[in-house]
Amino acid sequence: MKVPVEEGYFRIPPEAHAAPVLLGSYSPAASTYFWPRRKRCPISLEAVEDCELSTEGEIYSWTFVMLPWLGSMEMDTGGGFGAVQVDLPEGVRIQAPLEGKMGDWKIGQKVRLVTRSVGKDDQGNDLCTIAFRVMEGSK
Amino acid sequence: MSMGRDVYVVGVGMHRYGKHDVSRRDMHYTAGMAALEDANLSFRDVGALYSGYIGGNMLDGVTFAKDFGLTGLPVVHIENASATGSSAFREAVMAVAGGSSETAMAIAFDGRLGNMAAAGGPRRPTMDTNLLPAAFFAFWAVRRMHENGTTVETFAKIAAKNWNHARFNKYAERQADKEITPETVLASPMVAYPHTAMMACGAGAGASAAIVATREVALRLANGRPLVRVIASQMQSERYQPGHVFLGAIVGPSESTRITANLAYEEAGVGPNDLSLVHVHDAFPIEELMYYELLGICPDGEGDRLVAEGATTIGGRIPFSTDGGLIGRGHPGGPTGLAQIWDVTQQLRGESGVRQVEGARLGLAHMMGAGSVCVLHILQKE
Repeated sequence: MKVPVEEGYFRIPPEAHAAPVLLGSYSPAASTYFWPRRKRCPISLEAVEDCELSTEGEIYSWTFVMLPWLGSMEMDTGGGFGAVQVDLPEGVRIQAPLEGKMGDWKIGQKVRLVTRSVGKDDQGNDLCTIAFRVMEGSK
Repeated sequence: MSMGRDVYVVGVGMHRYGKHDVSRRDMHYTAGMAALEDANLSFRDVGALYSGYIGGNMLDGVTFAKDFGLTGLPVVHIENASATGSSAFREAVMAVAGGSSETAMAIAFDGRLGNMAAAGGPRRPTMDTNLLPAAFFAFWAVRRMHENGTTVETFAKIAAKNWNHARFNKYAERQADKEITPETVLASPMVAYPHTAMMACGAGAGASAAIVATREVALRLANGRPLVRVIASQMQSERYQPGHVFLGAIVGPSESTRITANLAYEEAGVGPNDLSLVHVHDAFPIEELMYYELLGICPDGEGDRLVAEGATTIGGRIPFSTDGGLIGRGHPGGPTGLAQIWDVTQQLRGESGVRQVEGARLGLAHMMGAGSVCVLHILQKE
């Protein structure tokens, strides 16, 4: 079973192939969304409401990283990995790994949220973080 | 903020930055004693000590201070990511300005960043360590290339400049034996596109110290040297900005630097055109390029032109990173902001040798701490 590597950031729907859902906050006072969840609105300092955010967005920026992956001290990343900043329709910017290889991406492309396995927990569950994948047909 | 009493830098000291195996405790002692000797002070004369470090144990600051003597002075541990040394300096300045001390020392030290990470062993991934800092700076660079047409050659020129400034700094991590060209920088291995290994800051060990004092003490210690006065000390944390990143916010909102700089200019009664030299958090060249604009050295979007004209090289209109900056001098973490104070003080005294900025009168030192705090000081030669 897939489980988030940390609770409180996203949930994984039980349906096969369903995209993970980001757990955010909405501030009615500032009409602004945030991710991850906030205890208070950082703009108005008023209360926020829990909400769920879009699973699709646009590439704001990207890079290809040739460094150890996710806390590893070894250069065992298999030739590097993509990373991306994505703007969601709600105005929230997310940073996450990006599937694909150097040359696959450009600013403005549509991407979709996916899970990425980063190991196993003591019960044998797949520990997952979030990542993005370029949507088919997006140029 | 208004400073109560005028505050002066009376002593600065360094232990060389680099990938050596000198203990943190020995580096701390070397830098601290160098600052005391530079000031011609005894540790008995120091009224308060602000000790900055990122790695290590919770009592390292007060434990290592015992090497200078047991005088009963207050010792406080400061930790503020890359802005640790700058924050320790600011606390020392505030102690003297506020009247609680006539003389205060800021000292900072850290071992090699790689060793700090390795000491913890393999880490279970977390959402906050999903990506590494190199990626965040690279995002900024790729977006800049998209919006302004900035080229990788511009980034390479900035890095080569800082490597070449560091060649003549005996305390720098990177002391190349020949001039570094932009082509050499571009030929080094890729770290995170578009940044290559020679564009990334050095991450060795090191220690730095600075002593500040009242005008009365500074005049007594001057011994024919010009006085160096702290005319602005400002610090800001994040304010919300569209596109604000809350998780893994290593770069932080760009407006933090603009806001903090404007507060400092107002406090000092000077503007960016009055500056003689500038130090910034140049972990990667995209940062230095952006800070040309965010500090008001040039209008937004015109930083590339400064690079093309060589304006930010020693001998140019407004030299940046005159000791090599984070890229050349190195960035152990905690002490870096105090290395900036060391260089600005020496520049204003006219003691920088072949790196001397002609007629240096005003120097600015800027550091970011994990993108979440911005600390900025302006020093003036009297």
